[in-house]
Amino acid sequence: MKALQRRTLLAATAVLATVGLAATAIPAQAAEVGVTATQIKLGMTLPLTGTASLGYNKIPGAAKAYFDYLNANGGINGRKINLVVKDDRYVPTEAVSKTNELILKDKVMALLAPLGTANVKAVASSVNPARRGVPVLFVNTGFSGFADTKKYPTTYTVLPSYIMEAKIMGQYIKEKFAGKKIGLLYQDDDFGTDALAGFKTAGVNFAVRVPYASGSQSAAAAAGWITKFKAAEADVVILFGVSSATSAMLGTAAQLGYKPQWMLGSVGGDATTIKLTGVPAGVLRGAIGFSPVPATTDMNDEYVKFFSDIYAKAVPGSAFDLNVLLGMNSAFMAAQALKAAGPNPTRKSLMAAIDSKGATFANSALVPLGYSKTSHVGLTGYWVGEYSVTGDLSPIGGTYVTYTTDSGSGAVVKSTYKRPAMPAKGLPN
Amino acid sequence: MHKSKKQSTHLPLFILVGVVLFILSNFIEELRVSQGTTIAVYVIAISSIILLTGYSGQVSLGHGALMAIGAYAAAVLRLEFNLPIILCFVAAVLAAAIGGLLLGMAAARLSGPYLAGTTLALAIGLPSLANQFPILGGEQGREFKVGPPDFEPEVVAAAEPLTFFGNVLSILDKLQTTLATGAWPGASPMSTYKWWFWIAALAALISMWTVRNILNSAYGRSWRAGRGNEVAAQLAGINTARSKVLAFTISAGIAGLAGALLAMSIGTVSPSAFPLALSFSLLTGAVLAGITTLGGVIIGSVILVAIPEIADVVAHRLGSSESVTTNLPGLIVSGLLILTVLFVPNGPVEQHRARKAKHEAAHSSTKK
Repeated sequence: MKALQRRTLLAATAVLATVGLAATAIPAQAAEVGVTATQIKLGMTLPLTGTASLGYNKIPGAAKAYFDYLNANGGINGRKINLVVKDDRYVPTEAVSKTNELILKDKVMALLAPLGTANVKAVASSVNPARRGVPVLFVNTGFSGFADTKKYPTTYTVLPSYIMEAKIMGQYIKEKFAGKKIGLLYQDDDFGTDALAGFKTAGVNFAVRVPYASGSQSAAAAAGWITKFKAAEADVVILFGVSSATSAMLGTAAQLGYKPQWMLGSVGGDATTIKLTGVPAGVLRGAIGFSPVPATTDMNDEYVKFFSDIYAKAVPGSAFDLNVLLGMNSAFMAAQALKAAGPNPTRKSLMAAIDSKGATFANSALVPLGYSKTSHVGLTGYWVGEYSVTGDLSPIGGTYVTYTTDSGSGAVVKSTYKRPAMPAKGLPN
Repeated sequence: MHKSKKQSTHLPLFILVGVVLFILSNFIEELRVSQGTTIAVYVIAISSIILLTGYSGQVSLGHGALMAIGAYAAAVLRLEFNLPIILCFVAAVLAAAIGGLLLGMAAARLSGPYLAGTTLALAIGLPSLANQFPILGGEQGREFKVGPPDFEPEVVAAAEPLTFFGNVLSILDKLQTTLATGAWPGASPMSTYKWWFWIAALAALISMWTVRNILNSAYGRSWRAGRGNEVAAQLAGINTARSKVLAFTISAGIAGLAGALLAMSIGTVSPSAFPLALSFSLLTGAVLAGITTLGGVIIGSVILVAIPEIADVVAHRLGSSESVTTNLPGLIVSGLLILTVLFVPNGPVEQHRARKAKHEAAHSSTKK
């Protein structure tokens, strides 16, 4: 018994000592968490390693490239932006623990562009940034639910929702492929549910709909899908899935000599990612694609030119693709939001700035932003393009034709949106 | 076994640890409390592997899948039938145990690489079943909330800068006041993380206590006998097949509890929360802990939680690039795993015990 007591005492002392070490000194609090006289701290979680990281792992480098440029040119009112990036390996558990670290240990002011619907949902449910008053800027997912300001009051979306995309595809089909037989490949989850809702609103009647379970996409599965599309004699086949599903489908179709009119959703439509999986670029030729931001090869576009120049200097040798452009665009918008939040930005003033001025933020997209006091909806539309023989998406006929809509029952209209000119030197004003 | 005195169940020790953890949870940072929850989940999951692999000698690469069964059972019952949370956890244990029973019956016919292969297939295949049944919520999963729902989290940490001794003294001071008045002076405000930690830590203590006592019972002995030499065990009258299935069932039930707690700590269940990497890191934790002793389980769990943080600090000290920072945790864990297998194959705790036993044996022989 004596031995037990001694051991218990020892254990208790050890535990106390650990706690003593754990409770580290906390520096004097500034006016707002994550904001000091010299810097503003932002946090980002996304997959940097693992199978899901392909393409996405370029985003931190892209965002940092812009922030470094901004910091070298005076920052935001003299404060430099410090972006802390953590790898969540696309696993919700990791996203939660890394976000915990960002908020509780690194004490970031706001989260920027966290990626993945399941991850953002898990973080909202567990870490609960809303309750902590932490802004979640420009989530990197098109799930329409995140624009729900009651459920996610501090979250701002940026990508057009999957519903908007499906509605715009539906409109384009009505205009260009009336009377044709349409086939749809979609992912059997929230992503696909959003798409189906959009197509329904647009009034598209499908000759055949092929759902696939996330993770089940493979060349063998694609052969099965093709059989179904062939049996239904589909003229136009819409691939509304992730890149790996698009790649499996296009690769297998090329082998089997199956050539319908392809139409690619933006999630699985990044040519760089598709080509990385070994699909020959030529297969993409003539496919219809959708994007909210200009073609990444369009060097006549002032934003694309500006972003690609900065990126080439910051990350030499890395291709400037859609992930990079979107990453830099979100960083660019975050800089404007921080600038608009006043000389001493707080979490509250940051969100108020997006609510009141967000819709006018300069950014590369060719479609309007939907931010207002009652809406956290970001981009609201797409332009329609065609893939070239090298796999690059560019506007049909050389001019961007953009459509805009909402995630509800609103009509799809051709947009007359005039994009704001890029601020001088690409710095927020 | 030369010590033949009655085995104590160590109940007072477990209760004491529980009380200490409860008190501590009121005075440490929220981040540490949430990491404590993760450690508790790992403690439970790793102890289930130690029971299965270390004692009954069966390898499982599929414990992530068994955790998923428990998590989904708890979440679905909570959402569809609004079952009290304690029953959800019980159901998680039962559901995973049934899964383990079925798997165990197959496993009793397999061994070594074949068993590893079967369980590996389960870890890969099972979580994606969620896409087949709408009730399981597909890839995005479903919410899993344990009440009480709405605590105000601490927006700003309010601790004052203190020295190491200052911290210990102030905690002792607070304890004294608490004992005298029954109040909690300076205790951090109630938070969701604290609530989760209490549930997870209590579950960990209960399951550790249970596992410990099962391992010290006749079942534990028959598992070890079967692991050592199956034929000899059969000759001694042990039904090794049944004993293996039982080990699988109990281990799975415990893993199910860990799964439900993991789901609680992220507020959702989804297939991607139970990746293959989870099964592997549990096995890694078990090896680091010393696969044949329950005592090291806390070491294994703390390592799994602490390594990414340590790697982060090291990488920042060195000012290394992003690719180093992101790959360093994996590198450190793998390095530790290799070192463990090379130098302390039975884990640090077992090694220490063996050395002590040797030392004592040497002493008693010189005294003779």
